Amino acid sequence: MKREIGKRIEIEDGNNDTAIQVKNLSKSFKLPTEQAFGLKQAFFNRLRGIKGYKEQKVLKNLDFEIKKGEFIGIVGRNGSGKSTLLKILAGVYYPQKGEITINGSLVPFIELGVGFNPELTGRENVYMNGALLGFSNEEMEKMYDDIWEFAELKDFQDQKLKNYSSGMQVRLAFSIAIRAKGDILLLDEVLAVGDAAFQQKCNDYFTSLKNKKQTVILVTHSMRDVRRFCTRAILLENGKIIENGDPAKIANSYNKLLGIE
Amino acid sequence: MKIPLIFNKKNRILLKELTKTDFKLRYQGSVLGYLWALLRPLMMFAILYIVFSKLLRIGNDIPHYPVYLLCGTTMWNFFTECTSQGIQAIVTRGDLLRKISFPKYIVVVSATLTAVINMLINVAVVIIFALINGVTPSLTWFLIIPAIFELYLLSLGIAFLLGSINVKYRDITSIWDVIVQALFYAVPIIYPISMVASTSTLAAKVILLNPIAQAIQDIRYNLITPETITIWNFLENHLVAIIPIVIVFITLTLGALIFRQKSKFFAEEV
Repeated sequence: MKREIGKRIEIEDGNNDTAIQVKNLSKSFKLPTEQAFGLKQAFFNRLRGIKGYKEQKVLKNLDFEIKKGEFIGIVGRNGSGKSTLLKILAGVYYPQKGEITINGSLVPFIELGVGFNPELTGRENVYMNGALLGFSNEEMEKMYDDIWEFAELKDFQDQKLKNYSSGMQVRLAFSIAIRAKGDILLLDEVLAVGDAAFQQKCNDYFTSLKNKKQTVILVTHSMRDVRRFCTRAILLENGKIIENGDPAKIANSYNKLLGIE
Repeated sequence: MKIPLIFNKKNRILLKELTKTDFKLRYQGSVLGYLWALLRPLMMFAILYIVFSKLLRIGNDIPHYPVYLLCGTTMWNFFTECTSQGIQAIVTRGDLLRKISFPKYIVVVSATLTAVINMLINVAVVIIFALINGVTPSLTWFLIIPAIFELYLLSLGIAFLLGSINVKYRDITSIWDVIVQALFYAVPIIYPISMVASTSTLAAKVILLNPIAQAIQDIRYNLITPETITIWNFLENHLVAIIPIVIVFITLTLGALIFRQKSKFFAEEV
């Protein structure tokens, strides 16, 4: 069974002001119609000539470009393909058709607390998470105290993560994630964590990103954040880009789509 | 997969952290903790020793037979742990693969490295037992390193090959359990190969063509007693004697190629 596969190109070109170029990108998933997690089922399905899955088109012929220094908001309803798009940009999924070009280093993190293990202590989890973000041990040691300071969890370092509240876990994860350095940041629903005081810290962080002209791609449902931080937004619906441009206008279109005025 | 990228700094750090957490998690919540890495194989050995050496009186003609047996079980445990952990690694770490992009082989290698650490501790125990049992230390002891390495490469090849199929067809885990059970009797661990050779030379030769058997016999030969039958002193034709190494090479190459091809889709299939 030969699968169609798109192209993913990574370059480092300082003279080129394009950060990400997406051409004619399509992606579909195979959703098993019957439980096909076994050899027996696969065998019988083949005998009966059933494919055992149906093809779900998640992204359809996307074309867009992101310049360096842009703060892009990707919005859309649940199931519109936002997270899939982000995962393809991050290299988690392979493009099925089309071509994407990434210019510069990507911060390979899309969700908070990737690799967190409840059975390990906060300290161990910080090092694990840091390794996933590409930090060396020395780098981690240097920023270690700052991470706990920012998360306001200094007294919990040697507690197992399962003893943290969910809010505490997210705070810790966020505190590590914001240290990530790279040319392009990919963020999936990371705002709106913690209480009001912590929220303020997050807002400051995003404002600083915007002022620094960091290239950011943010998937979110918060139109407030889109209006506040984004320099441009992309609205997805059913795997297609239906609008691409001014964040305030797109926030309105999104609300219209949902039926909220 | 460009060769210089395989072990760049970032991947090395990740490999180290994953192995560390694997190892820590394995013995979480048990009173004796890491000690189990030693106690479990020693207890298994005790059972086999009592049943086969004392009750069935097998192997009494081999010098230092208890150490000989312990050496065999240690290497066998290494092989089974390495393969079963390696095969399941992608599924176990599925959560990670779905969220972050990194070279997938790191997950498999880290799972097998935990087995390597356990094996190293157990080899130290074998050596201590050997000294107590009166085996004379010798420079040939260093020759067990290439044989262990061969066993590791074979396990890694199997882990890559079956692990990538296991993502879609979870039956592989169960099938492998059965194969391992069968293989246990096909490898001269609890019975000395001289026992087989005395009834059928051909059967003994065929047994030795299995890389696991060949490696274990080589290790015993170099570590415990040169009275061990190995593929090198038992098969006249040394060209045939290379077959086990060819098998290892083919398994690893095939495993790596299939893994590389399938790993692109692990994130969406796992």
